[in-house]
Amino acid sequence: MDTPSRHADDRKTAVVAQRMKKPFLSRKTRHLAFVWMLLLPALLVYFAYRAVPLAWNVVLSFSFWAPGKPIRFAGLYQYQELAFYDGIFWEVLKNTAIFMLVIPISIMLALALALLVDQKITGRNIYRTIIFLPYPMMVVAVGIVWRWLYNDNVGLINYALRSMGLISRPIAFLESYDFALAAVIAAAVWQILGFFMIIILTGLQNIPPHLYEAARIDGARAHHRFWRITLPLLRPSLFLCVILGVIASFTSFDLIYTMTNGGPGHATDLLITYIYKAAFTLSRFDYAAAMTVVMFVLFLALALLTNRLAGGDAGKVDISD
Amino acid sequence: MSRRTRILSHITLILVSVIMLTPIYWVVKTSISGENLFTYPPSIVPHDPNLFYYVQAWYTVDFVRLFTNSLAIAVLVVVVNLVLNAMAGYALTKHFPGKGMVLGFLLASMMIPFHATIIPAYLLTAKLGLLNSKLGIALPFFSHIVCIFLFKSNFEAIPSSLVQAARLDGLSELRILTRIMLPLSRPAVATNIILSFIWSWNDFLWPLIVVRSPDQETMPLGLVSFLASFEDTTGALYAFCVLVVLPSMLVFLLAQKDFIRGLTTGATKG
Repeated sequence: MDTPSRHADDRKTAVVAQRMKKPFLSRKTRHLAFVWMLLLPALLVYFAYRAVPLAWNVVLSFSFWAPGKPIRFAGLYQYQELAFYDGIFWEVLKNTAIFMLVIPISIMLALALALLVDQKITGRNIYRTIIFLPYPMMVVAVGIVWRWLYNDNVGLINYALRSMGLISRPIAFLESYDFALAAVIAAAVWQILGFFMIIILTGLQNIPPHLYEAARIDGARAHHRFWRITLPLLRPSLFLCVILGVIASFTSFDLIYTMTNGGPGHATDLLITYIYKAAFTLSRFDYAAAMTVVMFVLFLALALLTNRLAGGDAGKVDISD
Repeated sequence: MSRRTRILSHITLILVSVIMLTPIYWVVKTSISGENLFTYPPSIVPHDPNLFYYVQAWYTVDFVRLFTNSLAIAVLVVVVNLVLNAMAGYALTKHFPGKGMVLGFLLASMMIPFHATIIPAYLLTAKLGLLNSKLGIALPFFSHIVCIFLFKSNFEAIPSSLVQAARLDGLSELRILTRIMLPLSRPAVATNIILSFIWSWNDFLWPLIVVRSPDQETMPLGLVSFLASFEDTTGALYAFCVLVVLPSMLVFLLAQKDFIRGLTTGATKG
Protein backbone atom coordinates (compact mmCIF):
# COMPACT_ATOMS: atom_id res chain seq x y z
CA MET A 1 0.00 0.00 0.00
CA ASP A 2 2.44 2.52 1.21
CA THR A 3 4.69 2.40 -1.83
CA PRO A 4 7.33 5.05 -2.46
CA SER A 5 5.75 5.91 -5.80
CA ARG A 6 2.47 6.89 -4.16
CA HIS A 7 4.36 9.08 -1.77
CA ALA A 8 6.03 10.77 -4.66
CA ASP A 9 2.69 11.23 -6.38
CA ASP A 10 1.20 12.81 -3.30
CA ARG A 11 4.10 15.12 -2.97
CA LYS A 12 3.85 16.14 -6.61
CA THR A 13 0.19 17.05 -6.29
CA ALA A 14 0.96 19.00 -3.17
CA VAL A 15 3.71 20.94 -4.92
CA VAL A 16 1.50 21.64 -7.92
CA ALA A 17 -1.30 22.82 -5.67
CA GLN A 18 1.08 25.07 -3.79
CA ARG A 19 2.45 26.49 -6.98
CA MET A 20 -1.02 27.28 -8.20
CA LYS A 21 -1.76 29.22 -5.06
CA LYS A 22 1.42 31.25 -5.01
CA PRO A 23 4.80 31.12 -6.76
CA PHE A 24 7.31 28.55 -5.54
CA LEU A 25 9.66 31.29 -4.39
CA SER A 26 8.58 34.74 -3.43
CA ARG A 27 8.99 37.48 -6.00
CA LYS A 28 11.71 39.06 -3.96
CA THR A 29 13.74 35.89 -3.67
CA ARG A 30 13.43 35.19 -7.36
CA HIS A 31 14.56 38.72 -8.16
CA LEU A 32 17.55 38.29 -5.88
CA ALA A 33 18.44 34.91 -7.37
CA PHE A 34 18.18 36.37 -10.86
CA VAL A 35 20.47 39.29 -10.05
CA TRP A 36 23.13 37.10 -8.49
CA MET A 37 22.90 34.62 -11.34
CA LEU A 38 23.71 37.46 -13.73
CA LEU A 39 26.57 38.71 -11.59
CA LEU A 40 28.14 35.45 -10.62
CA PRO A 41 30.12 34.52 -13.77
CA ALA A 42 31.85 37.90 -13.99
CA LEU A 43 32.50 38.00 -10.25
CA LEU A 44 33.96 34.51 -10.44
CA VAL A 45 36.49 35.63 -13.05
CA TYR A 46 37.60 38.54 -10.88
CA PHE A 47 37.63 36.45 -7.77
CA ALA A 48 39.81 33.75 -9.35
CA TYR A 49 42.15 36.01 -11.31
CA ARG A 50 42.32 39.13 -9.13
CA ALA A 51 41.37 38.53 -5.50
CA VAL A 52 42.80 35.05 -5.05
CA PRO A 53 46.16 35.89 -6.70
CA LEU A 54 46.55 38.92 -4.45
CA ALA A 55 46.26 36.76 -1.32
CA TRP A 56 48.31 33.95 -2.86
CA ASN A 57 51.12 36.41 -3.62
CA VAL A 58 51.21 37.56 0.00
CA VAL A 59 51.32 33.97 1.28
CA LEU A 60 54.07 33.03 -1.19
CA SER A 61 56.12 36.08 -0.26
CA PHE A 62 56.38 34.84 3.34
CA SER A 63 57.33 31.31 2.29
CA PHE A 64 60.01 29.12 0.81
CA TRP A 65 58.42 27.39 -2.12
CA ALA A 66 59.33 26.00 -5.52
CA PRO A 67 57.18 23.94 -7.86
CA GLY A 68 56.99 20.34 -6.60
CA LYS A 69 58.37 21.17 -3.15
CA PRO A 70 56.44 21.53 0.11
CA ILE A 71 55.78 25.07 1.26
CA ARG A 72 57.64 26.28 4.37
CA PHE A 73 57.21 29.43 6.40
CA ALA A 74 60.04 31.86 5.69
CA GLY A 75 59.08 34.89 7.71
CA LEU A 76 60.63 38.02 6.27
CA TYR A 77 63.43 36.14 4.50
CA GLN A 78 62.39 37.10 0.95
CA TYR A 79 61.88 40.74 1.90
CA GLN A 80 65.23 40.87 3.67
CA GLU A 81 66.92 39.47 0.61
CA LEU A 82 65.47 42.06 -1.73
CA ALA A 83 66.11 44.91 0.68
CA PHE A 84 69.66 44.07 1.78
CA TYR A 85 71.23 41.48 -0.48
CA ASP A 86 69.90 42.14 -3.96
CA GLY A 87 71.55 45.23 -5.44
CA ILE A 88 69.81 44.59 -8.74
CA PHE A 89 66.42 45.01 -7.10
CA TRP A 90 67.32 48.58 -6.15
CA GLU A 91 68.67 49.28 -9.62
CA VAL A 92 65.44 47.97 -11.10
CA LEU A 93 63.42 50.11 -8.70
CA LYS A 94 65.43 53.15 -9.76
CA ASN A 95 64.89 52.30 -13.43
CA THR A 96 61.15 52.04 -12.87
CA ALA A 97 61.18 55.46 -11.21
CA ILE A 98 63.16 56.95 -14.11
CA PHE A 99 60.85 55.26 -16.60
CA MET A 100 58.02 57.25 -15.01
CA LEU A 101 59.45 60.30 -16.76
CA VAL A 102 57.19 59.05 -19.55
CA ILE A 103 54.29 60.49 -17.53
CA PRO A 104 55.24 64.20 -17.32
CA ILE A 105 56.78 64.23 -20.80
CA SER A 106 53.73 62.65 -22.43
CA ILE A 107 51.25 64.75 -20.49
CA MET A 108 52.90 68.06 -21.37
CA LEU A 109 53.16 67.16 -25.04
CA ALA A 110 49.63 65.76 -25.05
CA LEU A 111 48.24 68.90 -23.44
CA ALA A 112 49.88 71.10 -26.06
CA LEU A 113 48.64 68.89 -28.88
CA ALA A 114 45.13 68.68 -27.43
CA LEU A 115 44.93 72.48 -27.30
CA LEU A 116 46.09 72.63 -30.93
CA VAL A 117 43.63 70.09 -32.31
CA ASP A 118 40.80 71.51 -30.21
CA GLN A 119 40.87 74.63 -32.38
CA LYS A 120 38.57 74.94 -35.35
CA ILE A 121 41.18 74.25 -38.00
CA THR A 122 40.86 72.22 -41.14
CA GLY A 123 42.05 68.64 -40.94
CA ARG A 124 41.94 68.46 -37.15
CA ASN A 125 40.36 65.00 -37.29
CA ILE A 126 43.19 63.77 -39.49
CA TYR A 127 45.78 65.16 -37.06
CA ARG A 128 43.97 63.49 -34.16
CA THR A 129 43.90 60.14 -35.92
CA ILE A 130 47.57 60.29 -36.89
CA ILE A 131 48.70 61.20 -33.38
CA PHE A 132 46.51 58.47 -31.86
CA LEU A 133 47.49 55.84 -34.44
CA PRO A 134 50.41 54.26 -32.50
CA TYR A 135 48.31 53.55 -29.42
CA PRO A 136 46.31 50.51 -30.65
CA MET A 137 49.40 48.95 -32.22
CA MET A 138 50.70 45.69 -30.78
CA VAL A 139 53.48 46.67 -28.36
CA VAL A 140 55.65 43.73 -29.40
CA ALA A 141 55.69 45.05 -32.97
CA VAL A 142 56.30 48.58 -31.72
CA GLY A 143 59.34 47.34 -29.80
CA ILE A 144 60.76 45.63 -32.87
CA VAL A 145 60.19 48.69 -35.05
CA TRP A 146 61.97 50.94 -32.57
CA ARG A 147 64.89 48.51 -32.28
CA TRP A 148 65.24 48.87 -36.00
CA LEU A 149 65.09 52.67 -35.82
CA TYR A 150 67.83 52.65 -33.16
CA ASN A 151 70.04 50.20 -35.07
CA ASP A 152 73.61 51.51 -34.91
CA ASN A 153 74.61 50.71 -38.50
CA VAL A 154 71.62 51.43 -40.67
CA GLY A 155 69.00 52.73 -38.22
CA LEU A 156 67.12 55.83 -39.24
CA ILE A 157 67.91 57.71 -36.02
CA ASN A 158 71.67 57.26 -36.31
CA TYR A 159 71.47 58.13 -39.98
CA ALA A 160 69.53 61.31 -39.27
CA LEU A 161 71.88 62.39 -36.47
CA ARG A 162 74.92 61.69 -38.61
CA SER A 163 73.68 63.50 -41.67
CA MET A 164 72.82 66.50 -39.50
CA GLY A 165 76.37 66.39 -38.22
CA LEU A 166 75.31 65.99 -34.58
CA ILE A 167 77.37 62.84 -34.08
CA SER A 168 80.41 61.61 -35.95
CA ARG A 169 80.19 57.91 -35.23
CA PRO A 170 77.08 55.76 -34.80
CA ILE A 171 75.72 55.19 -31.30
CA ALA A 172 74.37 51.77 -30.35
CA PHE A 173 71.59 53.33 -28.29
CA LEU A 174 70.07 50.12 -26.97
CA GLU A 175 73.42 48.63 -25.97
CA SER A 176 74.62 51.72 -24.16
CA TYR A 177 74.34 52.18 -20.41
CA ASP A 178 73.87 55.90 -20.94
CA PHE A 179 71.21 55.88 -23.61
CA ALA A 180 69.26 52.62 -23.41
CA LEU A 181 66.72 53.70 -20.80
CA ALA A 182 66.16 57.07 -22.48
CA ALA A 183 65.73 55.31 -25.83
CA VAL A 184 63.06 53.03 -24.39
CA ILE A 185 61.33 56.00 -22.76
CA ALA A 186 61.15 57.79 -26.14
CA ALA A 187 59.44 54.78 -27.70
CA ALA A 188 56.97 54.59 -24.80
CA VAL A 189 56.14 58.29 -25.13
CA TRP A 190 55.57 57.84 -28.86
CA GLN A 191 53.00 55.16 -28.22
CA ILE A 192 51.05 56.61 -25.29
CA LEU A 193 51.05 60.28 -26.35
CA GLY A 194 47.94 60.03 -28.54
CA PHE A 195 45.93 58.28 -25.83
CA PHE A 196 46.69 61.06 -23.34
CA MET A 197 45.83 63.65 -25.99
CA ILE A 198 42.40 62.09 -26.50
CA ILE A 199 41.72 62.00 -22.74
CA ILE A 200 42.71 65.66 -22.38
CA LEU A 201 40.70 66.56 -25.47
CA THR A 202 37.60 64.96 -23.95
CA GLY A 203 38.23 67.02 -20.83
CA LEU A 204 38.59 70.20 -22.91
CA GLN A 205 35.34 69.58 -24.70
CA ASN A 206 33.52 69.12 -21.40
CA ILE A 207 34.41 72.65 -20.30
CA PRO A 208 31.27 74.76 -20.72
CA PRO A 209 31.96 77.40 -23.42
CA HIS A 210 30.07 80.10 -21.55
CA LEU A 211 32.93 80.24 -19.04
CA TYR A 212 35.26 81.40 -21.81
CA GLU A 213 32.71 83.89 -23.10
CA ALA A 214 32.25 85.35 -19.64
CA ALA A 215 36.01 85.60 -19.24
CA ARG A 216 36.35 87.26 -22.64
CA ILE A 217 33.70 89.81 -21.72
CA ASP A 218 35.59 90.47 -18.51
CA GLY A 219 38.63 91.14 -20.71
CA ALA A 220 40.73 88.15 -19.61
CA ARG A 221 43.66 87.50 -21.92
CA ALA A 222 44.28 84.17 -23.60
CA HIS A 223 46.95 83.02 -21.14
CA HIS A 224 44.78 84.05 -18.22
CA ARG A 225 41.94 82.00 -19.60
CA PHE A 226 44.31 79.06 -19.87
CA TRP A 227 45.66 79.27 -16.33
CA ARG A 228 42.40 80.27 -14.66
CA ILE A 229 39.81 78.22 -16.54
CA THR A 230 41.30 75.54 -18.77
CA LEU A 231 43.92 74.10 -16.47
CA PRO A 232 41.85 73.93 -13.26
CA LEU A 233 38.93 72.32 -15.08
CA LEU A 234 41.26 69.83 -16.76
CA ARG A 235 42.50 68.54 -13.43
CA PRO A 236 40.51 65.28 -13.46
CA SER A 237 41.66 64.49 -17.01
CA LEU A 238 45.29 65.29 -16.25
CA PHE A 239 45.32 63.21 -13.09
CA LEU A 240 43.67 60.37 -14.94
CA CYS A 241 46.61 60.49 -17.36
CA VAL A 242 48.96 60.34 -14.38
CA ILE A 243 47.26 57.23 -13.01
CA LEU A 244 47.23 55.53 -16.41
CA GLY A 245 50.90 56.50 -16.78
CA VAL A 246 51.71 54.96 -13.40
CA ILE A 247 49.96 51.75 -14.45
CA ALA A 248 51.88 51.78 -17.75
CA SER A 249 55.19 52.24 -15.90
CA PHE A 250 54.52 49.20 -13.75
CA THR A 251 53.32 47.06 -16.65
CA SER A 252 55.57 47.97 -19.60
CA PHE A 253 56.75 44.45 -20.06
CA ASP A 254 56.28 43.94 -23.80
CA LEU A 255 58.28 46.99 -24.84
CA ILE A 256 61.29 46.21 -22.64
CA TYR A 257 61.21 42.52 -23.51
CA THR A 258 61.41 43.15 -27.24
CA MET A 259 63.66 46.21 -27.29
CA THR A 260 66.39 45.33 -24.77
CA ASN A 261 65.21 42.45 -22.58
CA GLY A 262 66.44 44.53 -19.67
CA GLY A 263 69.94 45.00 -20.98
CA PRO A 264 72.64 46.07 -21.18
CA GLY A 265 73.24 44.45 -17.78
CA HIS A 266 70.12 45.52 -15.96
CA ALA A 267 70.13 49.08 -17.28
CA THR A 268 66.59 48.89 -18.65
CA ASP A 269 65.12 46.20 -16.41
CA LEU A 270 61.90 47.40 -14.79
CA LEU A 271 60.21 45.77 -11.79
CA ILE A 272 57.87 43.78 -14.00
CA THR A 273 60.60 42.37 -16.25
CA TYR A 274 62.76 41.51 -13.24
CA ILE A 275 59.81 39.76 -11.58
CA TYR A 276 59.17 37.81 -14.77
CA LYS A 277 62.79 36.69 -14.95
CA ALA A 278 62.90 35.68 -11.27
CA ALA A 279 59.71 33.66 -11.57
CA PHE A 280 59.77 32.19 -15.03
CA THR A 281 63.43 31.82 -15.90
CA LEU A 282 64.89 31.21 -12.42
CA SER A 283 61.76 29.50 -11.00
CA ARG A 284 62.07 31.59 -7.83
CA PHE A 285 58.33 32.03 -7.43
CA ASP A 286 58.54 32.89 -3.72
CA TYR A 287 61.06 35.69 -4.25
CA ALA A 288 59.20 37.00 -7.29
CA ALA A 289 55.99 37.02 -5.23
CA ALA A 290 57.69 39.21 -2.60
CA MET A 291 58.76 41.65 -5.32
CA THR A 292 55.23 41.61 -6.73
CA VAL A 293 53.86 42.55 -3.32
CA VAL A 294 56.32 45.47 -3.17
CA MET A 295 55.33 46.51 -6.70
CA PHE A 296 51.63 46.36 -5.86
CA VAL A 297 52.04 48.38 -2.66
CA LEU A 298 54.08 51.02 -4.52
CA PHE A 299 51.48 51.16 -7.28
CA LEU A 300 48.63 51.50 -4.82
CA ALA A 301 50.45 54.21 -2.87
CA LEU A 302 51.14 56.22 -6.03
CA ALA A 303 47.60 55.79 -7.34
CA LEU A 304 46.04 56.83 -4.03
CA LEU A 305 48.44 59.77 -3.73
CA THR A 306 47.50 60.92 -7.23
CA ASN A 307 43.83 60.55 -6.45
CA ARG A 308 44.26 62.55 -3.26
CA LEU A 309 46.04 65.32 -5.13
CA ALA A 310 43.28 65.33 -7.73
CA GLY A 311 40.70 65.84 -5.00
CA GLY A 312 39.32 62.35 -5.48
CA ASP A 313 38.41 62.94 -9.10
CA ALA A 314 41.06 61.08 -11.05
CA GLY A 315 39.84 58.18 -13.09
CA LYS A 316 36.45 58.56 -11.52
CA VAL A 317 34.00 55.93 -12.67
CA ASP A 318 30.29 56.52 -12.66
CA ILE A 319 28.92 54.22 -10.00
CA SER A 320 25.99 56.34 -8.90
CA ASP A 321 22.67 54.56 -8.87
CA MET B 1 41.63 82.94 -34.52
CA SER B 2 44.19 85.03 -36.34
CA ARG B 3 45.79 83.92 -39.57
CA ARG B 4 49.18 83.69 -37.93
CA THR B 5 48.14 81.30 -35.13
CA ARG B 6 46.31 79.21 -37.71
CA ILE B 7 49.43 78.81 -39.85
CA LEU B 8 51.64 78.19 -36.81
CA SER B 9 49.23 75.53 -35.56
CA HIS B 10 49.29 73.79 -38.91
CA ILE B 11 53.08 73.85 -39.08
CA THR B 12 53.41 72.38 -35.58
CA LEU B 13 50.79 69.72 -36.18
CA ILE B 14 52.28 68.69 -39.52
CA LEU B 15 55.69 68.41 -37.89
CA VAL B 16 54.30 66.26 -35.08
CA SER B 17 52.36 64.12 -37.56
CA VAL B 18 55.53 63.50 -39.54
CA ILE B 19 57.35 62.40 -36.37
CA MET B 20 54.45 60.13 -35.35
CA LEU B 21 54.26 58.55 -38.79
CA THR B 22 57.99 58.11 -39.36
CA PRO B 23 58.39 54.80 -37.46
CA ILE B 24 55.34 53.40 -39.24
CA TYR B 25 56.64 54.58 -42.60
CA TRP B 26 60.08 53.17 -41.88
CA VAL B 27 58.88 49.67 -41.10
CA VAL B 28 56.61 49.61 -44.16
CA LYS B 29 59.48 50.90 -46.31
CA THR B 30 61.85 48.27 -44.96
CA SER B 31 59.28 45.54 -45.53
CA ILE B 32 58.72 46.33 -49.20
CA SER B 33 62.21 47.29 -50.32
CA GLY B 34 64.23 44.74 -52.19
CA GLU B 35 67.55 46.34 -51.25
CA ASN B 36 70.17 44.87 -48.98
CA LEU B 37 69.24 46.03 -45.47
CA PHE B 38 72.87 46.88 -44.78
CA THR B 39 73.34 49.49 -47.43
CA TYR B 40 74.54 52.75 -45.95
CA PRO B 41 73.15 55.33 -46.19
CA PRO B 42 69.68 53.73 -46.04
CA SER B 43 67.43 54.94 -48.82
CA ILE B 44 64.57 57.14 -47.71
CA VAL B 45 62.17 55.89 -50.37
CA PRO B 46 62.09 52.20 -51.22
CA HIS B 47 63.70 51.60 -54.58
CA ASP B 48 62.38 48.70 -56.53
CA PRO B 49 59.45 48.05 -54.10
CA ASN B 50 58.27 44.44 -54.08
CA LEU B 51 56.59 41.92 -51.82
CA PHE B 52 59.54 39.53 -51.58
CA TYR B 53 59.84 39.83 -47.78
CA TYR B 54 56.13 39.15 -47.33
CA VAL B 55 56.45 35.95 -49.33
CA GLN B 56 59.53 35.03 -47.31
CA ALA B 57 57.73 35.69 -44.01
CA TRP B 58 54.77 33.63 -45.21
CA TYR B 59 56.98 30.63 -45.92
CA THR B 60 59.25 30.95 -42.88
CA VAL B 61 56.57 31.02 -40.22
CA ASP B 62 53.37 29.05 -40.05
CA PHE B 63 51.39 32.22 -40.47
CA VAL B 64 47.99 30.57 -40.80
CA ARG B 65 48.42 28.69 -37.52
CA LEU B 66 49.47 31.82 -35.60
CA PHE B 67 46.63 33.78 -37.14
CA THR B 68 43.96 31.18 -36.40
CA ASN B 69 45.23 30.72 -32.83
CA SER B 70 45.11 34.46 -32.16
CA LEU B 71 41.74 34.77 -33.86
CA ALA B 72 40.20 31.81 -32.01
CA ILE B 73 41.29 33.23 -28.66
CA ALA B 74 40.11 36.73 -29.57
CA VAL B 75 36.70 35.47 -30.70
CA LEU B 76 36.31 33.42 -27.51
CA VAL B 77 37.28 36.44 -25.39
CA VAL B 78 34.94 38.77 -27.28
CA VAL B 79 31.91 36.48 -27.11
CA VAL B 80 32.30 35.64 -23.43
CA ASN B 81 32.96 39.29 -22.63
CA LEU B 82 29.74 40.37 -24.30
CA VAL B 83 27.69 37.83 -22.38
CA LEU B 84 29.30 38.29 -18.96
CA ASN B 85 29.60 42.08 -19.10
CA ALA B 86 26.05 42.63 -20.36
CA MET B 87 24.70 40.32 -17.66
CA ALA B 88 26.69 41.95 -14.89
CA GLY B 89 25.94 45.44 -16.21
CA TYR B 90 22.22 44.67 -16.24
CA ALA B 91 22.32 43.26 -12.71
CA LEU B 92 24.01 46.45 -11.51
CA THR B 93 21.08 48.57 -12.75
CA LYS B 94 18.89 46.79 -10.19
CA HIS B 95 18.59 47.43 -6.50
CA PHE B 96 19.51 44.54 -4.29
CA PRO B 97 21.14 44.04 -0.91
CA GLY B 98 24.91 43.77 -1.21
CA LYS B 99 25.09 45.97 -4.31
CA GLY B 100 27.47 48.38 -2.61
CA MET B 101 29.77 45.49 -1.79
CA VAL B 102 29.74 44.22 -5.36
CA LEU B 103 30.56 47.68 -6.71
CA GLY B 104 33.34 48.03 -4.16
CA PHE B 105 34.73 44.64 -5.12
CA LEU B 106 34.71 45.52 -8.82
CA LEU B 107 36.38 48.89 -8.27
CA ALA B 108 38.99 47.27 -6.03
CA SER B 109 39.65 44.61 -8.68
CA MET B 110 40.15 47.41 -11.18
CA MET B 111 43.02 48.63 -9.03
CA ILE B 112 44.85 45.30 -9.33
CA PRO B 113 46.84 45.32 -12.56
CA PHE B 114 46.87 41.89 -14.16
CA HIS B 115 50.66 42.09 -14.19
CA ALA B 116 50.67 41.97 -10.39
CA THR B 117 48.88 38.62 -10.43
CA ILE B 118 50.88 36.65 -12.98
CA ILE B 119 52.57 34.20 -10.60
CA PRO B 120 49.44 32.95 -8.79
CA ALA B 121 47.48 33.21 -12.05
CA TYR B 122 50.04 30.91 -13.62
CA LEU B 123 49.91 28.47 -10.70
CA LEU B 124 46.11 28.55 -10.73
CA THR B 125 45.96 27.89 -14.47
CA ALA B 126 48.39 25.01 -13.98
CA LYS B 127 46.15 23.58 -11.23
CA LEU B 128 43.16 23.82 -13.55
CA GLY B 129 45.16 21.89 -16.14
CA LEU B 130 44.79 24.71 -18.64
CA LEU B 131 48.43 25.52 -19.32
CA ASN B 132 49.23 25.53 -23.03
CA SER B 133 45.57 25.76 -24.05
CA LYS B 134 43.49 28.43 -25.70
CA LEU B 135 41.03 28.40 -22.83
CA GLY B 136 43.89 28.99 -20.40
CA ILE B 137 45.05 32.02 -22.41
CA ALA B 138 41.54 33.45 -22.67
CA LEU B 139 40.19 32.75 -19.18
CA PRO B 140 41.63 35.69 -17.20
CA PHE B 141 40.26 38.12 -19.81
CA PHE B 142 36.71 36.82 -19.86
CA SER B 143 35.44 40.06 -18.41
CA HIS B 144 36.61 43.70 -18.44
CA ILE B 145 35.31 45.90 -15.64
CA VAL B 146 35.33 49.03 -17.79
CA CYS B 147 32.89 47.30 -20.15
CA ILE B 148 30.61 46.26 -17.29
CA PHE B 149 30.25 49.90 -16.29
CA LEU B 150 29.80 50.86 -19.93
CA PHE B 151 26.84 48.49 -20.18
CA LYS B 152 25.47 49.68 -16.87
CA SER B 153 25.39 53.33 -17.90
CA ASN B 154 23.98 52.42 -21.32
CA PHE B 155 21.17 50.37 -19.82
CA GLU B 156 20.38 53.13 -17.35
CA ALA B 157 19.94 55.57 -20.22
CA ILE B 158 17.12 53.46 -21.68
CA PRO B 159 13.73 54.96 -20.71
CA SER B 160 12.21 52.94 -17.89
CA SER B 161 8.75 53.28 -19.47
CA LEU B 162 9.93 50.90 -22.19
CA VAL B 163 10.97 48.34 -19.61
CA GLN B 164 7.70 48.77 -17.69
CA ALA B 165 5.69 48.22 -20.87
CA ALA B 166 7.63 45.06 -21.64
CA ARG B 167 7.07 43.81 -18.12
CA LEU B 168 3.32 44.41 -18.44
CA ASP B 169 3.39 42.42 -21.67
CA GLY B 170 4.70 39.54 -19.58
CA LEU B 171 8.28 39.44 -20.78
CA SER B 172 10.64 37.74 -18.37
CA GLU B 173 13.62 39.67 -17.00
CA LEU B 174 15.99 37.69 -19.20
CA ARG B 175 13.90 38.45 -22.28
CA ILE B 176 13.87 42.14 -21.36
CA LEU B 177 17.67 42.03 -21.33
CA THR B 178 18.05 40.19 -24.65
CA ARG B 179 15.11 41.63 -26.58
CA ILE B 180 14.98 45.23 -25.39
CA MET B 181 18.09 46.31 -23.54
CA LEU B 182 20.75 44.81 -25.80
CA PRO B 183 19.31 45.90 -29.16
CA LEU B 184 19.08 49.43 -27.75
CA SER B 185 22.70 49.39 -26.55
CA ARG B 186 24.49 49.04 -29.88
CA PRO B 187 27.25 51.53 -28.98
CA ALA B 188 28.14 49.66 -25.78
CA VAL B 189 28.13 46.36 -27.65
CA ALA B 190 30.36 47.76 -30.39
CA THR B 191 32.79 49.28 -27.91
CA ASN B 192 32.96 46.07 -25.92
CA ILE B 193 33.69 44.02 -29.03
CA ILE B 194 36.42 46.36 -30.24
CA LEU B 195 38.16 46.81 -26.89
CA SER B 196 38.16 43.15 -25.93
CA PHE B 197 39.30 42.18 -29.42
CA ILE B 198 42.26 44.56 -29.49
CA TRP B 199 43.30 43.76 -25.92
CA SER B 200 43.21 40.05 -26.61
CA TRP B 201 44.92 40.36 -29.98
CA ASN B 202 47.81 42.45 -28.63
CA ASP B 203 48.31 40.60 -25.36
CA PHE B 204 51.80 39.20 -24.95
CA LEU B 205 52.93 38.56 -21.37
CA TRP B 206 50.18 36.10 -20.45
CA PRO B 207 50.49 33.87 -23.56
CA LEU B 208 54.27 34.02 -23.10
CA ILE B 209 53.83 32.47 -19.66
CA VAL B 210 51.08 29.98 -20.48
CA VAL B 211 52.06 28.70 -23.92
CA ARG B 212 54.52 25.83 -23.88
CA SER B 213 54.47 24.48 -27.44
CA PRO B 214 54.68 26.14 -30.87
CA ASP B 215 51.28 24.84 -31.93
CA GLN B 216 49.56 27.07 -29.36
CA GLU B 217 51.57 30.21 -30.14
CA THR B 218 49.73 33.45 -30.84
CA MET B 219 50.81 36.23 -33.22
CA PRO B 220 52.96 38.23 -30.77
CA LEU B 221 54.67 35.03 -29.59
CA GLY B 222 55.35 34.07 -33.20
CA LEU B 223 56.81 37.50 -33.81
CA VAL B 224 59.14 37.19 -30.82
CA SER B 225 60.22 33.65 -31.78
CA PHE B 226 60.95 34.94 -35.25
CA LEU B 227 63.06 37.74 -33.80
CA ALA B 228 64.89 35.25 -31.57
CA SER B 229 65.76 32.87 -34.40
CA PHE B 230 66.51 35.30 -37.24
CA GLU B 231 67.81 38.44 -35.47
CA ASP B 232 66.51 41.82 -36.54
CA THR B 233 68.46 41.95 -39.76
CA THR B 234 66.05 40.22 -42.07
CA GLY B 235 63.42 42.18 -43.96
CA ALA B 236 60.91 39.38 -43.45
CA LEU B 237 60.71 40.34 -39.75
CA TYR B 238 59.35 43.75 -40.71
CA ALA B 239 56.93 42.28 -43.21
CA PHE B 240 55.74 40.08 -40.36
CA CYS B 241 55.39 43.16 -38.10
CA VAL B 242 53.21 44.89 -40.68
CA LEU B 243 51.00 41.82 -41.05
CA VAL B 244 50.60 41.48 -37.28
CA VAL B 245 49.71 45.13 -36.74
CA LEU B 246 47.34 45.33 -39.68
CA PRO B 247 44.23 43.66 -38.16
CA SER B 248 44.11 45.83 -35.04
CA MET B 249 44.84 48.95 -37.10
CA LEU B 250 41.99 48.02 -39.41
CA VAL B 251 39.60 47.49 -36.52
CA PHE B 252 40.68 50.81 -35.06
CA LEU B 253 40.31 52.80 -38.27
CA LEU B 254 36.91 51.27 -39.02
CA ALA B 255 35.57 51.89 -35.54
CA GLN B 256 37.64 54.84 -34.38
CA LYS B 257 34.79 56.63 -32.63
CA ASP B 258 33.61 53.59 -30.64
CA PHE B 259 37.14 52.68 -29.70
CA ILE B 260 38.04 56.11 -28.39
CA ARG B 261 34.70 56.54 -26.67
CA GLY B 262 35.16 53.20 -24.96
CA LEU B 263 38.60 54.11 -23.70
CA THR B 264 37.51 57.48 -22.38
CA THR B 265 34.01 56.71 -21.09
CA GLY B 266 34.75 54.37 -18.21
CA ALA B 267 37.63 56.63 -17.43
CA THR B 268 36.57 60.24 -17.61
CA LYS B 269 32.89 60.12 -16.92
CA GLY B 270 32.48 61.77 -13.54
